[in-house]
Amino acid sequence: MSLQTRKILDRTFSGAGLLAIAWLAAALLVLLAPMVVRGLRAVCFQGTIEHRRFLLEKFERGDRTEVEAEIRAAQAAREPAWRMLAEFDRQLAAGEASVRARYRAPLKDLRKHLQFLLGPEPGKPRPPLLRDQYGQTRMDLAQLGLERVLRREEWDYSNPAAGGVRESKPRAEDFAGTPLAALFPYVEQNLAAMMRPRRTFYWGFWTDESFDAHFFGGIWPEILGTFYLAIGTLLLAVPMGLVAAIYLTEYARESRFLAVLRTCNNTLAGVPSIVFGLFGLAFFINTAHVSPAKSVLAGSMTLALMILPTVIRASEEAIKAVPRTYREAALSLGAGRWHTVWSAVLPAALPGILTGIVISMGRAAGETAPIIFTAAVSVGRPLALWQTLAQPTPALSWNIYNLATEHEAVDLVRHVQYGLVLTLVGLVLLLNLAAILLRARIARRLRN
Amino acid sequence: MKKAMAGVAAMLIAGAAAAGEANQIVVDGSTTVGPIAKAFAEHYMQKHPEVNITVSESGSGNGAKSLINAACDVATMSRPMKNSEKKAAQDAGILPIEHVVAMDGIAVVVNNRNPVADLTTAQIRDIYTGKIRRWSELGGPDEPVVAISRDTNSGTYECFETLVMDQQKMASPVEYTGSNGAIRQRVMSTPGAVGYVGLAFTEGVKTVTVNGIEATPETVVSREYPIARPLYMYTSGRPAADSPLADYVGLAATEDGKRIIEATGFVALP
Repeated sequence: MSLQTRKILDRTFSGAGLLAIAWLAAALLVLLAPMVVRGLRAVCFQGTIEHRRFLLEKFERGDRTEVEAEIRAAQAAREPAWRMLAEFDRQLAAGEASVRARYRAPLKDLRKHLQFLLGPEPGKPRPPLLRDQYGQTRMDLAQLGLERVLRREEWDYSNPAAGGVRESKPRAEDFAGTPLAALFPYVEQNLAAMMRPRRTFYWGFWTDESFDAHFFGGIWPEILGTFYLAIGTLLLAVPMGLVAAIYLTEYARESRFLAVLRTCNNTLAGVPSIVFGLFGLAFFINTAHVSPAKSVLAGSMTLALMILPTVIRASEEAIKAVPRTYREAALSLGAGRWHTVWSAVLPAALPGILTGIVISMGRAAGETAPIIFTAAVSVGRPLALWQTLAQPTPALSWNIYNLATEHEAVDLVRHVQYGLVLTLVGLVLLLNLAAILLRARIARRLRN
Repeated sequence: MKKAMAGVAAMLIAGAAAAGEANQIVVDGSTTVGPIAKAFAEHYMQKHPEVNITVSESGSGNGAKSLINAACDVATMSRPMKNSEKKAAQDAGILPIEHVVAMDGIAVVVNNRNPVADLTTAQIRDIYTGKIRRWSELGGPDEPVVAISRDTNSGTYECFETLVMDQQKMASPVEYTGSNGAIRQRVMSTPGAVGYVGLAFTEGVKTVTVNGIEATPETVVSREYPIARPLYMYTSGRPAADSPLADYVGLAATEDGKRIIEATGFVALP
């Protein structure tokens, strides 16, 4: 092969390598960018006066006099709309029954959407659900509310073969010729005055409890739950995993039994996580009764079982990678076997072991299947440390699934769902970053 | 460091001792009853911040199993407990007590684009047994019918099977889904889809009338609507009077509870 050809081949290879890296980076960007942008919208958004009213009434947060002045201003802007509605009610009550019947359904619908946008009608009894006690707290949802007030969706089925065609009809047409016709332009033009949007950074999203099935508040119980589960898993899996790895590499004599044991361990590492979840339910909860119901403890045990094979395997590899000379040196100085492992082998293997542990922890934090039946619930309070022994908790991974499928108003809590995703991804990335830094630091200390 | 560890250990031991008794209520079961259970929990915890009520929605069947295994305090169910489950509970030394909390209609929902406005019970049965495969057979466009059902763990599934299917098996093309919310989203996004959900899950999809009767709270109460059923909460034994558990389950009979049930879209008991 001529030198020229070799050079060309060489360049082609490095070119392909670069291309692969660029491809990976682009894929990561495409994947992560929307996640970050949408996730941040849970924290940074155009907040309305309803958001500030909620914070003031629930947490005493914000400048009371200022917010109250704003509430009054917003109420003043809304007053004409409610007045028009009330006037129309009075007019209907005084008028003929046939007219009343004609407007009953459209009026009920309009009222529903106006309350969705602005909150309960003044002078009416307080609605029982928190979500009905406030108007829309976010401007994007308020725009949706305005759209629903102004227009009514109708489906035209005149051509059954083609399927229905969506038509959006202005509600103003339904009320043409009545005093209510003026309501629609008024609401449309005065939306900003009624909602008073302002750029809001709601840091409480990460530190507040959730209210009314995630319609309000933050995701603190989920974050704390995930944290407890990850730490619990660590506390249970690491000592066991480390001891097993030390035994397998330093103490056990190579035998057929050991080979079988290794194969079992490797197989266990490949078992799907839902199997561990069901095992956890059947064994820890229904048979061993480690807790009266699902609990963080039972969940941690299940997760620990799931990551144990990986921890053992990673620790084993790290211990094996320590040069023989270290052991020989220690033994020649008169150290016993245990002392050799403790003072010469383990410190050298530590970076590898730690990496394995932290990556497993990231996996434990992100897994859903093992905790469905053993630890996770859709709604619950943040737990105190001692409550983790007996009580279940919401957790990031499970609640993402719950909000995406089971929640009764998926479309209205989408921002919370994205916020949960961003938090989980951020948490796992942070864990991995910590692993890299820790590893670098220990490696540096060992070299000196 | 040692002191801190000892402190943590002491807290954990104290916690383990306190864990058995009750400032917690664990609710598990039906996804249909979920909105009521969650709203009740919210309402109750507002007044009693010392109580932690956790709610999970894993299906009626799982709720019953949980109660039998003493792994939950309240099993929410959208169907009555079966004899086999009662027997299993008895064998486990648990006496399930039934509390009816609300009424619900199972609404049959289709995509908004679908012109079909009414189905008879027989037609719905034929859709799910696979006899009707195209909407053109029902006066709609020439599109395939995508029938969505709940999984067999669901109480809504069992009620639907009893009230509509008349002991006939669902056909193989039927898709099984894990929750009411998932059916709703599947129907919203698929033009030819048809599914069935509790009354609280009909936002954004088209509810068809069944035998000419619309699924509304009024027709459910008057028993005109053919696919209606009560919703239940089961406790293990009768809860002690004035205990948080009794108050929580009893909410359904109070004025506040009834208003909550109606606000979530279900039908309160008279």
